[in-house]
Amino acid sequence: MGRVSYLRRLFTVAIIIFVLLGVAPALIMAQETDKKDNRPERGIALYTDYSGVAVAKGETVQMDLTLENKGRTDENVDVRITSVAKDWKATLKGARYRVTGMYVPNGKAKTLALTLEPAKGIGPGKYAFQFEAKTADGKLTANHTLSVDVQERTVGADNIQITAAYPVLRGQTDSKFEFSLEVMNKGDMERTFNLSAVGPEKWEINFKPAYEQKQISSIRVKEGQNQTVAVEVTPNQNANSGEYPVLVRISSGESKAEVKLTVNLTGTYRLDAGTPNGILSLEAFGGKPVTFSLFVRNNGSAVNRNISFSSFKPENWETTFKPEKIESLAPGAMKQVEVTVTPGRQSLVGDYSVGLMVNGEKADKTVEMRVTVKASSAWGWIGIGIILLVIAGLSFLFIKMGRR
Amino acid sequence: MHGIFAIYRKEMEDHFSSIRFLLIAALIVMVGVIIASMVGMSMQEELRGIAKPNFIFLLLFTSTGKLFSFTQFIGLLGPLIGIILGFDAINRERTGRTLSKLVSQPIYRDAIINAKFLAGVTMIAIVMVSIVLIISGLGIRLIGVVPGADEMWRLLIYIILSILYISFWLGAAILFSVVFRSTATSALASLAAWIFLSFFVGLGGSFLADAIAPMSQTADVAQATEAFIKNDQVQRIASLLSPATLYGDATSTILDPLRKTPRTFIMMGPLERLSLSRFQNPLPLMQSVVIVAPFLISLIAITFVCFGICYMVFMRQEIRST
Repeated sequence: MGRVSYLRRLFTVAIIIFVLLGVAPALIMAQETDKKDNRPERGIALYTDYSGVAVAKGETVQMDLTLENKGRTDENVDVRITSVAKDWKATLKGARYRVTGMYVPNGKAKTLALTLEPAKGIGPGKYAFQFEAKTADGKLTANHTLSVDVQERTVGADNIQITAAYPVLRGQTDSKFEFSLEVMNKGDMERTFNLSAVGPEKWEINFKPAYEQKQISSIRVKEGQNQTVAVEVTPNQNANSGEYPVLVRISSGESKAEVKLTVNLTGTYRLDAGTPNGILSLEAFGGKPVTFSLFVRNNGSAVNRNISFSSFKPENWETTFKPEKIESLAPGAMKQVEVTVTPGRQSLVGDYSVGLMVNGEKADKTVEMRVTVKASSAWGWIGIGIILLVIAGLSFLFIKMGRR
Repeated sequence: MHGIFAIYRKEMEDHFSSIRFLLIAALIVMVGVIIASMVGMSMQEELRGIAKPNFIFLLLFTSTGKLFSFTQFIGLLGPLIGIILGFDAINRERTGRTLSKLVSQPIYRDAIINAKFLAGVTMIAIVMVSIVLIISGLGIRLIGVVPGADEMWRLLIYIILSILYISFWLGAAILFSVVFRSTATSALASLAAWIFLSFFVGLGGSFLADAIAPMSQTADVAQATEAFIKNDQVQRIASLLSPATLYGDATSTILDPLRKTPRTFIMMGPLERLSLSRFQNPLPLMQSVVIVAPFLISLIAITFVCFGICYMVFMRQEIRST
């Protein structure tokens, strides 16, 4: 049984192999004859992808000029520009060279870079350019005409777009404001945008790339992409609180876009403190309190609230403030605080540094006082008493015992 | 008064002509000069390149140089001048049988002891002033720094302190010469008193401190510090009984303007140290004087009291019988 089935299988495989060997060459032959029949002996074509384009005034046209060999023989083709519209400059380039002729193998197409550059003062209208390709033996030619329609430039506010994520910023007068702008190039080519800004007088406005510390005045954006620009605004130190507009203008050639940013100043929190006569030193005796007055002035342009006092002092020393707290201090206002410093009983003779801190809500000020601790002269008087006593004793002895 | 002046002049003549005094003065002048030149030369090297250090001039007297400073030297050996000047003031007259002759002169008896003491003080003053002047001159020559007014005042106070201190020992020596008939005994007694008060009081003070306020070995830092401070206080109070300590503390404070206390140990918190280190100014002269005043007064008092006792004992003594 097994033997019969094996023979059968062998037979089937043999038949399949035979059929494949017979049929496949026939199929390939059929294909080859098919191709050969359709192509002419020789033939060339010259064309650009678009035979007519419309461009804005002043723009350069760049395009590929394609040379195709449609025949079965390889060709050497001369290419030239037969007619150029007035005031235009046309160049054909392949690799780095101006091209006048090229070799095109059969069935292949080759491209050359065509650049059409208008002179400056060229007006709107239609301009035609003709190109001619000729085989080396002059038997075949191909022509192509390209028409360029120059149009008056439409003011393209649309092809730049600026968006500010946070157009209004709020802060103290002495802080810096950093706006983040997204500049989007909606045009069809890479462009350089000039950045400029108009702000209040004496304000400083700088453009910076995002996350970098360079100051820039222009930025390059690829077509269809966007770039982030940071606008750093430093207000004038003397500016009052209020809203200030900053106009950022971005332009490239004729097209421009604007965005209005607003800085909302809340004023500054600044405190000043000192003694009325400006003297920052005082003399004290160990354990004896000394009182002096300290003024606290609001130098900022916003109201300071909840001003408290603290001090940096040696251990065993005491400082008290009267009043202990100032509820609120209007800009420019001044208040007087009585400070009592009591040096420690055991403190040495010499100069100590005592720091008095005025802590406002958002501003503080430290006044360093030099406290000169002096030796108490009480002992001196006691000593003089002792000496007088001793001298009196001696005199008593002299009088009583002398003169013998 | 006439009597005092006559004896005073005679005493001065005796002192100047005595070989003993010349020897001690020569020793002190020599040591002073050696110390000053040593310190001066080492300072010359140290101070090269420093623009204008403060109170350099006083360093001549306080800087230890290679051995010890001038102030330490006077503190230790100054009493010897006093003792040598006074240990035989009365009993030499007595053994020479000149005392009764002196007393029989038409002068008051107290003129003798007063004049002897005054002559001794004058000698001490001459020695001290001349040594200080020698060192100052050498110092100006060596380090090229002229002392300012503040430094001169400090030096003057130092000289006064030294004269008082040595005068105390002069008084003590005269007292022993009144009490003891033999000059050898009074000399030995003076030396014993000097050694005891200069060296053993400090030692006894530390024993006393350990007995009264023992320093316990505890892990608690605060407690240990407290015990240490208390121990130091007891020791200090005990050692203040010694005139040597009084003199040493006073001179080191007056001659070092940056020194703010005569105490050796001070309890000071970290904040206080920070606060104090902010301005590191030298103390003004007046403040130093006020700090030193108790020491000065104590020295004056013990000197006067010592002389007073000496005076009293002498006045009560029977002279003619000898």
